[in-house]
Amino acid sequence: MGSVAEWFRKLTFLLKRNQFDRELEEEMRLHLELKMRKNLDSGMSAEEAHYAAQRQLGNFTRMEEESRQSWGFPFLESLLQDIRYGLRGLRKAPGFAVVATLTLALGIGAATCIFSIVNAVLLRPLPYQDASRMVYLWTVTPLFSEFKMGQSIPNLNDIKARSHSFDQITAFNTDTRNLTGEGDPKRVSVAAVSANFISFFAVHPILGRDLQPEDAQRKSGNVVVISYSLWQERFGAKDDVVGRAITLDGQAYTVAGVLPRGFEFPDKTLAWIPLVPTAEQTNDRSRWWYLSLAKLRPGVSLEQAQSEMDSIAAGLSREYPKDAEGIHFPVMTLQQSVIGVESKSPLLVLLAAVGFLLLIACANVSNLMLSRGMERQREIALRAALGASRRRILRQLLMESLLLALIGGLAGVGLAITGISVFRALAPPDFPRMEELRPELLIALFAFAISALAGILCGLAPALSTSRFDLNATMREKNSAVTDSRRAFSLRGTLVVAEIALALILLTGSALMVQGLSRLLKFETGLRIDNLVTTDLVLTKSRYSSEDSQRIFARQLLDSLHARPEFSGAALSNNSVLAGLTSLMSIDASVFGARAEKINLESRSVSAGFFEALGIRLIRGRFFDDHDAKGTPNVVIVNESLARRFFSDQDPIGRIFKLYADDKEQYQIVGVVAETRDIRLGGDRRLQIYFPILQQPGGVVYATVRSALDPAAVASLLKTCVWAVDREQPLGRVRSVADVVHASVAEPRFRSRLVMVFALSGLILSLIGIYGVISYGVTRRTHEMGIRMALGAQPGNVRGLILRDAVRLALIGAGIGAAGSLMLLRLLANQLYGIKANDPATLIGAALLMLIVAVAASYIPARRATKIDPVIALRCE
Amino acid sequence: MVRTASKNELLPGTLEMLILQTLTRGARHGYGIAQRIQEISDDVLQVEEGSLYPALQRLLVKGWVKAEWGSSENNRRARYYTLTSAGRKQLGFEAENFSRMVQAIARVMENA
Repeated sequence: MGSVAEWFRKLTFLLKRNQFDRELEEEMRLHLELKMRKNLDSGMSAEEAHYAAQRQLGNFTRMEEESRQSWGFPFLESLLQDIRYGLRGLRKAPGFAVVATLTLALGIGAATCIFSIVNAVLLRPLPYQDASRMVYLWTVTPLFSEFKMGQSIPNLNDIKARSHSFDQITAFNTDTRNLTGEGDPKRVSVAAVSANFISFFAVHPILGRDLQPEDAQRKSGNVVVISYSLWQERFGAKDDVVGRAITLDGQAYTVAGVLPRGFEFPDKTLAWIPLVPTAEQTNDRSRWWYLSLAKLRPGVSLEQAQSEMDSIAAGLSREYPKDAEGIHFPVMTLQQSVIGVESKSPLLVLLAAVGFLLLIACANVSNLMLSRGMERQREIALRAALGASRRRILRQLLMESLLLALIGGLAGVGLAITGISVFRALAPPDFPRMEELRPELLIALFAFAISALAGILCGLAPALSTSRFDLNATMREKNSAVTDSRRAFSLRGTLVVAEIALALILLTGSALMVQGLSRLLKFETGLRIDNLVTTDLVLTKSRYSSEDSQRIFARQLLDSLHARPEFSGAALSNNSVLAGLTSLMSIDASVFGARAEKINLESRSVSAGFFEALGIRLIRGRFFDDHDAKGTPNVVIVNESLARRFFSDQDPIGRIFKLYADDKEQYQIVGVVAETRDIRLGGDRRLQIYFPILQQPGGVVYATVRSALDPAAVASLLKTCVWAVDREQPLGRVRSVADVVHASVAEPRFRSRLVMVFALSGLILSLIGIYGVISYGVTRRTHEMGIRMALGAQPGNVRGLILRDAVRLALIGAGIGAAGSLMLLRLLANQLYGIKANDPATLIGAALLMLIVAVAASYIPARRATKIDPVIALRCE
Repeated sequence: MVRTASKNELLPGTLEMLILQTLTRGARHGYGIAQRIQEISDDVLQVEEGSLYPALQRLLVKGWVKAEWGSSENNRRARYYTLTSAGRKQLGFEAENFSRMVQAIARVMENA
């Protein structure tokens, strides 16, 4: 009753404390004076009256103190007392406090950091309305069974008519176009979308209007909806952008609207135009060009949708055997598609690694707390004997561990925040959803929850085992120290075993990942990549639609590059090297006179000078030169693998073949070169074929130059060269080839580093833990060793006895760890590039390390104990 | 040696009740409260003045009394305590409890 008012009064008292002291003193002084006057009246002398009054009233200071106490908060004060006592206790055991805090901080920090990352990338839904119901409808045909493709328009129309699982289906097609006029030409990602695309995402234009079905009929001319960022960057965020004309690939488009900030689906699209398929595209069932998104009807599961799509695919396959035989329509959630299967499993592995680290940290802290609890058993018994209630003692112990956990938790949150910014800085550039990654309040709370839980768990076990005491037994423990408290010992034994096992699994996993990485770094690309700088040009379609115009562009650009003395080499190709891109050409092996069989060739059109500039070795024949152009016989160069496979015992040079049975053209092999390999494509050796770019030109040109200048200077020179040929042609990213290669190993390298950090922290933590626990246990047995030696046991025997116990624990832990590691290896098998996932050396090495630490932890204290006089050992407490 | 019943030992908790009771007749300062208790009880109950002020603080915290500065008989500044309505209610409650206990003790003393 009235407790709120009471608290309020107490709080106002806190503000007026000084006034309170003054007034109380004044009040009591008056009391004293009145008392003295009364004493005087009753006939005492002045001095007597004074002393009597003081005697009767008592000690001023004590009264003041007692008065003040009435205004206090007894619960808070005893809590504060516990905290002060706890802090003092931690200060008195700095080694323990520092190790325990660091252990917790590391565990909590790492867990929080990784949890935020996994949350941002994997768990948090995409920032679109109903994102969880959005699915991709892919096509897989027997012709290109390893690729997922979009839908063809006839198939999509049939799916729309026959399916019942979806609310809405929308289709789009991505492309890049060159934006010209006002400033430098810029390449922008453009999506051609069906009219319901923008409303599919429940996005509303902040200016102007959405795309309408009429737009596809071009009744109002070409229209475009642009992204917020393009509006900001290119149009100065002016409102009058609606209605203005922009030029995309030489074609004028009227801006119809601007979409809100942040919406750039799919993948950094800056402009959306209506999807206008030609009559041919509308009728051809085998042009699987249109990416299709659908929204699952509420309550329909992915499996239900998939089985419906399976039956639709089976129906189409029967009805249109020519174009749809054996077709499949895999349904995949948007989230899965955005994250990509490649990013998902490494993140889960990381999460597991962190979970292990946290477990090790908890085991470690539990061990530390347990050992400390045992050490303090007598102190606690003494306090109980002096009247502390069991509850008060438990509270005190809990408070101490909570304090530790909170300090550790705070440090951990700091570590997590740092960790996340480091992650952002180091993460590979195309890591998905990085822009959404930030340390969050929720995550911080998560960390505190872990730390509080860890504190309670770690504190409670020893607190219970310590405070379940029998006062007599504990005080007599000097004698009972011969046998260590069985229960506590087995608990600690279990912790040691668990710690060894966990550390072993973590260590094995990370060692393997690191090995995998070092193999990647030694990867042979077959190229000389130093000083190479590359960029890509997507030619403006309206100007370079014909092969002749592409050829002219290529020749002029090549001349312009060769004219630069700063470039010691220059080459063009229609395809990048080492960036995970390739174009596959599917032909029949019979064209080379071999048994009929479908083979995929990695094909490239390259300019004269390409092989020289990139350092690809010529094995036989010749490179291309300037004469390999239009009007001269078609020539090709093949790589060693192809030559060996089809012309093993003959000279391929001079061989003439057709690419297809009814090909009007024929080609002559003029050279054989060494292979190039691309890590991103799995590093396989492939069958490669090269065409002269002047005979087989294309709409995409990669320009690669070798120069000793720094990349920024090279970039501006490249720009000058390109713009000398065509002022309206934008360049793609200008990067050194070394960067390209670096980027392709960036993700595995990054992942391995993270895991390595975890493994090392885990290893250190568990080594500290194992050493601490075992050596503590052995020290506790000093007394027992003294008795054994007094009874005539040899030091060696005693040490052997102690060692046996430690080795037993270590072996059990190693056994469990090995079993766990093998399970982990199976899981990791697909992660590890070019490595068989059973590498006994790593596992054995890790197990041995644990064993050595366990042995050292028991041998060193045992040796110390057996060296001393048994009499001293007996007296040892 | 036979000890005479000492003058100043109060049953625990009764001091606060006595303070509240002395305030029913109007505001008093600390010294006045002590004097009043002593007078009325014919000097049997001598308030241990050391515990008077802490007890007053407890009553203030509970909101049973309130304090105001005023001037005393001889024009000195003094803090006067008055009963609040909550204090009056509490006094009624405690007085009832107390008399029930005294009666019970008396019955035991007479009949046992």
